[in-house]
Amino acid sequence: MSYASFETKEQASARALLVPLCLFMGALLGFPTLINLWYSFSDVSFQNMIGSFVGIDNYVAAVTNPKMWQALRFSLQFAVICTTIEVGAALILVFILHPLLVKRPWMTAILMLPMMVSPALMGVMYRLILNEFTGAVPVYLEMMGYAVNFLGRGSIYKTVVAIEVLQWTPFAFLILLTARQTVSYELEEAAAVDGATGFRSTFHILLPMMKPALVIVIFVRFIDSFRVFDHIYVLTGGGPGNLTTSISIYIYKLFFVQNTLGEAVAVSILLLLMSLTLIVVAMRLVVRRS
Amino acid sequence: MLKTRFLTAGAAILATALSASTALADITILAWPGEPAESAFRKVLDLYNSTEGAKNNSKASVIYFSQQGFKEKMLADVAAGSKEFDVMLTATYDVGLYAPFMTPIDDLVTEDVYKVVSKNSIETQKYEGKTYGIPTDLSLHFLYYRKDLIEQLNTDPAWKAKYEEISEKILGKKLSPKPADQWDWDDFIASALFFTKSINPDSPTRYGTVLQMKNLLYNIMLWQGTVASNGGNWRDKDGNITVDSPAFKRGLEIYKIITDNEATPGDSSTYEYGEANSVFGAGQVAFMLQWNAAVPEFNDATKYPTVAGKLGLSHEPAGSEGPKTHFHSLGLGINKNTAKLDEAKAFLSWLATAEPMKLYAKEGGSPPLAEGLMAEIAGDRPEMLLMGEHAAKYGFVMDGATSAKAMGIYTNMAENFTGYWTGEIEQDEAIANVVADMKKAFAQ
Repeated sequence: MSYASFETKEQASARALLVPLCLFMGALLGFPTLINLWYSFSDVSFQNMIGSFVGIDNYVAAVTNPKMWQALRFSLQFAVICTTIEVGAALILVFILHPLLVKRPWMTAILMLPMMVSPALMGVMYRLILNEFTGAVPVYLEMMGYAVNFLGRGSIYKTVVAIEVLQWTPFAFLILLTARQTVSYELEEAAAVDGATGFRSTFHILLPMMKPALVIVIFVRFIDSFRVFDHIYVLTGGGPGNLTTSISIYIYKLFFVQNTLGEAVAVSILLLLMSLTLIVVAMRLVVRRS
Repeated sequence: MLKTRFLTAGAAILATALSASTALADITILAWPGEPAESAFRKVLDLYNSTEGAKNNSKASVIYFSQQGFKEKMLADVAAGSKEFDVMLTATYDVGLYAPFMTPIDDLVTEDVYKVVSKNSIETQKYEGKTYGIPTDLSLHFLYYRKDLIEQLNTDPAWKAKYEEISEKILGKKLSPKPADQWDWDDFIASALFFTKSINPDSPTRYGTVLQMKNLLYNIMLWQGTVASNGGNWRDKDGNITVDSPAFKRGLEIYKIITDNEATPGDSSTYEYGEANSVFGAGQVAFMLQWNAAVPEFNDATKYPTVAGKLGLSHEPAGSEGPKTHFHSLGLGINKNTAKLDEAKAFLSWLATAEPMKLYAKEGGSPPLAEGLMAEIAGDRPEMLLMGEHAAKYGFVMDGATSAKAMGIYTNMAENFTGYWTGEIEQDEAIANVVADMKKAFAQ
């Protein structure tokens, strides 16, 4: 048997093995994508459920609506700010707490607690905790002579960012801690013998070795923060005005409240295209670097 | 002997089968969650299951979605043809949206029903001439106020003088205190300013009032009494949109003046029903506009000791057309997809009788009872008389507010008007956005 025919057989069986996965993905993603594509070109509503073809009307309505751009801007800004703070804080915490957690690994579980609360519940919790009259935080701050209104117009943006950061920094911390723990002790010791300690060890040995995990955590947190919905919807409903309306809240309202399903799906498709472009560019960069 | 036994057994089996075929199946009801109505409705179901339901061998059970996103979940379910519930929630403001997914129940609305629930509340469950629900709860708004504080304002010369001074300084006109049931919107604003500590350091409350300004459609319902009392409406008789009118501008300004002068808590833009209750109940404000459902809570000294026994209720302040209140009813109707139409109808027919409605009212629900029944339960629920009176005298439903697009319009108003109140956008822009949205919605 020649090497070429062996390779062809190998390829054929590999392709055959891929068939179930492709069928599964096709059913799970392909069908909804196709039906959504149809919806985005139709006047579908809850009343007619299929709708009739309206061309690119929904796309025109979507891109000419300033509220979509405002929501998109909010989501991008929110994602950049939250990701930066979460990953930055997680990195600092990893370097500070790593020696402690090596000796007492059970403490990691405590740090993970905020992540285990559902985001909607987190919104409800902070609605109570930060209430000017009944909330524990404003009451104690007032007793100390500081009157802070966390849910007022001037500070609501910072508050929703802070809640996101408090909830999801543990996730970034967990990934980076795992990456930090994979750096072998021998390597660190060798570096120390060569005179690389503290700052130099961190920036020239640890961080480069943690880089793949760092890229992944930035990627995941950005996507997650970009599609933020729950706690903001519970806390502010996207307001006041549209000040805290994320793109997910915007799509939700178009779909369920305005009953303009076609336009809502058109916005989703546009977002999908934008995301795909970003992912392709990011993946190419990662592959090229690696 | 054996033959006789077989025959007897056969007859027994046949009788059981026959009785089973005439008995009704169990039904499931999707109802609006939240106290006190939820507990009251469970009591009504217990009554049904132990009386009429037991007689028909049909048990009724209730399911609830959470309040957040309730309507969206229900809409998705009925549009998908769900048969998980047979009886479902209806509401005046979205009866047009849900009508395609419901079975009209005009055949159930007999003259006897009008002796139990008021005729005008049945009207609020109609869309395009057909009735879709038996109304179970009437919702409208009262002016809730602290009797002790408003009385002192009207009798204490020092308070009076301060009130006049503040109104002249901030509103540009010298106003004198009045009893709450004589207030117009200027009195409402002036009183809010007077009872605000940052304006009047001697105020016994931190803020004058609490406005519910979360970006939420129900908050627009609460606000739009300011518009209707000045003659405003969504549309005129010819169907023209009339939001860009002096009445709407005045209504918007009332909230804006109070917000800008910080006579409402600074985080009011995240407030809805619950937050407003806790602020008023804690004695931090002197009065507020609120849904009628809160009355039993404030009369409960274990829950709100600061307010219990001092609660005053009045109609909303008057505009050029006198006082007005938005009102709507929640009710129960039939899911079009149900396979248990007879059972659902049997339940609704029973629900529209005196005994369950009286029980519901006594347990904390707010059914829109007909006059005779209302008088019977007035001893337990005195505010129910007031509700009936207010609905009849001051109640309004905006033109177009029962259409399939009403919820979307309310939501758009909430986005734009809360934006104006908190300084995100200008009034003209907010109104223009709402008008554009309404034109689009009504054109569809």
